[in-house]
Amino acid sequence: MPNRSPLLEVRSLHVGFRIFEGHLRVLDGVTLSVHEGERVGLVGETGCGKTTTVKSVLRVLPMPPAKVTGGEILYRGRDVLKMHRHALHILRRQELTAIFQDPLQSLNPVFTIGSQLRDIVRDSMRTPEGKPLSRREIEARCIQALEETGMPDPARIMSNYPIQLSGGMRQRVCIAEALSTNARLLLADEPTTNLDVTIQDQILRKLDRLVDQKGASVLMITHSMGVVRDLTQRIYIMYAGSVVETGPTRQLLASPRHPYTEGLMASVPRLTGRGVSEGIPGRIPNYLAPPPGCRFHPRCPHRMPECSVEAPPMFDVGADQRAACYLYRRPSP
Amino acid sequence: MRDETKANLLAAWRQRRRNLAHGWYKYSRNPLSVIGLAVLALIVLVAILAPYIAPYPGHAKAYTNFREASQPPSAKHFFGTDRIGRDIFSRTLFGYRFSLMIGAVVLALGVAPGVILGLLAGYRRGTWIEVVIMRVTDVFLAVPPLVLALAITAMLTPNLLNQMMAIALVWWPWYSRLVFSLASSLRNEYFVKEAELTGASQFHILFREILPNCFAPIMTKMTLDMGLVILIESTLSFVGLGIQPPKPALGTMVAEGAKRLPAEWWSTIFPALAIVIVILAFNLIGDGLRDVFAVEDV
Amino acid sequence: MAKYISLRLLQSVFVLFGLSLLIFFIARVVPGDPARQALGLLASQEQVERVREQMHLNDPFPVQYYYWLRSLLRGDLGVSSYTRRPVTTDLRQYIPATLELILFATLISFIIGQVTGVLAGYFRNSWFDGASRLVSYLGIATPSFVIAILLLFVFSQLLKLAPGIGRIPIMMKAPPTRTGFMMIDGLLAGRLDVTLTALKHILLPAFSLAVIHIAQEGRITRTSIVETMQKDYITLHKVHGIRTGRILFKYLLRPSIIPTVTVMGLDFAFLMSNAFLVETVYMWPGFSRYAMTAMLNKDLNAIVAVVLVIGLTFALVNLLVDIIIMFLDPTVRLRQGGA
Repeated sequence: MPNRSPLLEVRSLHVGFRIFEGHLRVLDGVTLSVHEGERVGLVGETGCGKTTTVKSVLRVLPMPPAKVTGGEILYRGRDVLKMHRHALHILRRQELTAIFQDPLQSLNPVFTIGSQLRDIVRDSMRTPEGKPLSRREIEARCIQALEETGMPDPARIMSNYPIQLSGGMRQRVCIAEALSTNARLLLADEPTTNLDVTIQDQILRKLDRLVDQKGASVLMITHSMGVVRDLTQRIYIMYAGSVVETGPTRQLLASPRHPYTEGLMASVPRLTGRGVSEGIPGRIPNYLAPPPGCRFHPRCPHRMPECSVEAPPMFDVGADQRAACYLYRRPSP
Repeated sequence: MRDETKANLLAAWRQRRRNLAHGWYKYSRNPLSVIGLAVLALIVLVAILAPYIAPYPGHAKAYTNFREASQPPSAKHFFGTDRIGRDIFSRTLFGYRFSLMIGAVVLALGVAPGVILGLLAGYRRGTWIEVVIMRVTDVFLAVPPLVLALAITAMLTPNLLNQMMAIALVWWPWYSRLVFSLASSLRNEYFVKEAELTGASQFHILFREILPNCFAPIMTKMTLDMGLVILIESTLSFVGLGIQPPKPALGTMVAEGAKRLPAEWWSTIFPALAIVIVILAFNLIGDGLRDVFAVEDV
Repeated sequence: MAKYISLRLLQSVFVLFGLSLLIFFIARVVPGDPARQALGLLASQEQVERVREQMHLNDPFPVQYYYWLRSLLRGDLGVSSYTRRPVTTDLRQYIPATLELILFATLISFIIGQVTGVLAGYFRNSWFDGASRLVSYLGIATPSFVIAILLLFVFSQLLKLAPGIGRIPIMMKAPPTRTGFMMIDGLLAGRLDVTLTALKHILLPAFSLAVIHIAQEGRITRTSIVETMQKDYITLHKVHGIRTGRILFKYLLRPSIIPTVTVMGLDFAFLMSNAFLVETVYMWPGFSRYAMTAMLNKDLNAIVAVVLVIGLTFALVNLLVDIIIMFLDPTVRLRQGGA
């Protein structure tokens, strides 16, 4: 898989926010890629820049205050950041789709579900001959999209307003909206975080099956280890605005290498009864004046003098697994 | 121990200063608000100093000099003179004195009862106290403030005091409604519940716990309202229901000048501009405060 | 919904009752003798005494109020001491002209305010946004009488582009009154010239009234557009590939228009009060100028009637606004429907 050129490739992305106190350097060289048909997880604590990464890819960050200060985002080799308005629109229409964290904020409150879904299908989909869909086709497509998410009585849902649905139902609608148009890459930003624990699993399973069916690629943002374990093949661990470790999901979870990842694993409560997590001492750094070098070094149990001088590059730490830590530096030949 | 208190005080003072600096930063993000503040400072200054800096302080009273009547603007009379020879610039400065004073007095008269009634009604929500206060408020709000103020002043003798009382009478309900909605949500906050449990008096809860938390919206509204009160005051003067000539009210001056319009344009344009500028200044400052306090529905 | 509306109407009746009590009270406690005012200085003491008796002025306040309320419910608002005609007759004559003016001004302000607000919000921080912001500040800060005088001065006296005062020139024969709206009456009578002249005459006063509201509505719409644009759902509409035009005019506009409509009730109140000044400046023969004259002449019966009419209009407008909001905002509609 790594030999093919990736569908999405983010290279050394730097994004900052201008606020009263100064310049927040939120993304500090994020590099990641998603291949065709692959499901990738992006994991990290709240506030580490996951959502900013996703919004940058979709190019929906409010600018100002946000500003891209470096790097590129390539989709099928074309730089999304340099795309013209029209090309961007086509890209969003045909290729990209997203689900956001908060289903209560994700649907327009003053229009019916049907109205929103119909417009998405009407504006995004074309017949194989490139003609707009007929009314009946649009209607059928919408009903089908809702049915696929396991929604009972889609015809009635179509005439409902968001306020008439529960959070879980709304998130199903969001999934239906996202997957109604056969997009190729789904960016899912913590799609179940704001839902009841009891339905989180249900929704994730549904999402999993649907993505499989459509053959779409997924970049799944989450802070839950359980979710990545079940749903993704490869993961990126993010800390304070950059990727610190990456590798095949199961392998990485079984043998984390980066000190931050190790700490993160240790802080996940396990059901094996071996006591509660110890966590990582310290807090996410201040983005105004982030620590120099590796941003994790003030909290790191293994810190070395060079850690505070220059950020470490990625070192190979196993089959397809790499970590940004000087612990794994090969002695120079 | 004493060192500790001192350190605490110092820390509190530093925090205050930081908050002020942050507030000023947010305020100054909008250059228009800064301009508004500067303009208002200037207006207040010239209004206070009017008797000393006006070129012809005597012209603010009954004074006639037909030889100097209806002069266009010149170095001698910046804004020209009116039909009986009074210097419009001097009269405008004195007009500002009246406008600002009326604005301040009306708000002082109207805000206090409005806030107290609003606090009471909000804190005692669901009791007969709320019902009485808020229904009376509704009655006062059932007619636009300008109309009610006009009607009341019309029935009284037109003079400074009656004008101020009439405007204050139509002004308090806006504050009781604002504070009512603030207080009725604040009363469910933990700090209020805590004060209740420790047996604090109702006076303490209303004025020490709830009121301080209503400060930002009240301040913002008062600033914006200064502009509105001055607007209504000038309107009342314009129709002849304000302070009576020969005292200079800006609205009266506009009305007088309007009768002689195409020819003696200066006698109406300058006082009119003076009104617009002071109202504008208050609006700009109010908007700046809205940003600082992040209040929306004022 | 019917239940909600009837509840609101009941509230309005209560408020209007309170208003009548308030205004009647002020009218009766004012210094001076209403009977003497009604008759003038030349009347003899006996005549005054007789009128005092007729007006129940010698009875205690609640009794006076009872008599007054009783005649009010019969549609009798007393006689105007200034025009010497029943107040109801006066009202019937003058209200249509003001209604025509105010409706025209509302139309202008809503359309222009919406368009500038949407554009300023969508292209925020552009030159257009800056310019409209500046103009809206000026619009809000300028008293309506100043605007009226300035427009009259510039467009009528200096540039001679528009006729000055009144609804139609004095020389012109007015069409028979049917709706009371000069423009419509002209059409009904088949007199296009009247309609056109009336249109020319209404432009300046209507615009004088509209300026403040253009500024206010434009500003509210702008703020609300900017806020809505930052919502997740608008971002997602974009991501899901909905056409830009559709997002702008459907998904962005509808939620953003709600705050503007919400304040339209309050705006209408200001429109009604500003009409007092604008009609005075333009000698518009309408209700507001009648009210102004009544106030300047201490015509108590007319003042009380005028205040009540305005209170009633304001209540109805607010109810109308609430109903429109229910149609625009399903959240409100479903809540009211459920309750």
